[in-house]
Amino acid sequence: MARNSFPVEVLTPEGKVFEDEVEMVSTRTTTGSIGVLANHAPLMAILEPTELRLYKSDSDVVRFAQGEGYLQVVDNSALVLVEEAIAPDDIDRSAFEARLKEAREAVERAEEGSEERARAQREVKRYEAFLEVTSG
Amino acid sequence: MASLKDIRGRIASVKNIRKITRAMEMISAARLRRAEQRIEHLRPYADALRRMTSRAAQAAENIPNLPILQEREQVSTVGILLVTGDRGLAGPFNSQIIRAGNRRATELRPDGAEVLWYASGRRGISSLQFRQLELGDSWAGFTDRPSFADARAIADGLTSAYVDGKVDRVEIFYNGYISAVNQEVRHETLLPLQQADVLGDDDDGDEDEDDPHSRALWIYEPDPEEILARLVPDYVEISIYRALLESTASEHGARMSAMRSASDNAGDMIDDLTLEANRQRQAEITQEIMEVVAGAEGLR
Repeated sequence: MARNSFPVEVLTPEGKVFEDEVEMVSTRTTTGSIGVLANHAPLMAILEPTELRLYKSDSDVVRFAQGEGYLQVVDNSALVLVEEAIAPDDIDRSAFEARLKEAREAVERAEEGSEERARAQREVKRYEAFLEVTSG
Repeated sequence: MASLKDIRGRIASVKNIRKITRAMEMISAARLRRAEQRIEHLRPYADALRRMTSRAAQAAENIPNLPILQEREQVSTVGILLVTGDRGLAGPFNSQIIRAGNRRATELRPDGAEVLWYASGRRGISSLQFRQLELGDSWAGFTDRPSFADARAIADGLTSAYVDGKVDRVEIFYNGYISAVNQEVRHETLLPLQQADVLGDDDDGDEDEDDPHSRALWIYEPDPEEILARLVPDYVEISIYRALLESTASEHGARMSAMRSASDNAGDMIDDLTLEANRQRQAEITQEIMEVVAGAEGLR
């Protein structure tokens, strides 16, 4: 069954990566997975690194590996602001594996409870999520 | 005096140099266009982030007590970030940043503040190392095409240093891009963030279409306060990313101008040398004729 579609824009600091009508946006916020359909109530949320799925239809799905960011839904249109949105085919596994290793080492090195450690942990989470997207 | 052969050799080598400087000028022009586009691409994201921040700030009951928004009374260590390029041959591009940074360090010294240096770009790093100054951290290898991840790495390093108390203020020096031929050194305070800059409502009013009734219906996940606590530090990343992009555009612009004048100078030099070569050639011919005439004279 065809659902109503609504406009979605995905912006990153390096430019717009997606702008089209979709039936559903599927992503993850700090509180859990979320699927946004047309006519959703106004929403503002923090996004976690995960796989961002944009359902143009049941069979036509555009996927991105997303970094941290924000989701805003207002007036039946969604705005996804993420630090990174990489098409799964463009992910260089070995590069991200190296960075993941580096980030894990940084967590070990940093002092307990420091900002440095908190930021390194965020980095670990991000690269784990990116690698998961390519293996999935 | 240089012989005709020497001069011809010099003409050939100057012509070769001109070929290289012309090629570098053209490459910089192409890269400059791309760098300008990247600055354009950042704008919608930065604007959207700003609007989201002011909305969250309006919804929040109180502004979260973030360390990066707090000015410290006692400033004992100032972090100075120099944004330079990885390569030279770009006129005053790198040296003016390094000079401005050093001037600032001299200004700070009477106040009793120590300076901890940070550098992005190999030129800045090697200059600081040469002066044996204390380097807090450095980043290099991306100045041709900085990505947001590079800016985030710098922001993570600087913000951690600030929050963990290694530095009490962070200042940044970079080449601001005005046009291909015009760049200026910009000096900004990165941390602490100015609350007014970050949370000030944008008065352009393009987001005021929603009335207060609908604002109450917004779903915030998590609370607006927590969203704000995440949005505010993003300003540091965005500011650094913008500085990196402007610096890259400036670098290509500066290199383009430097290479253009190098090509022009090479052209002038070739003209002078050609004139000199012709003079010498004529002198030689005259000399030979004189010798022939003198020889014929002698035979008579």
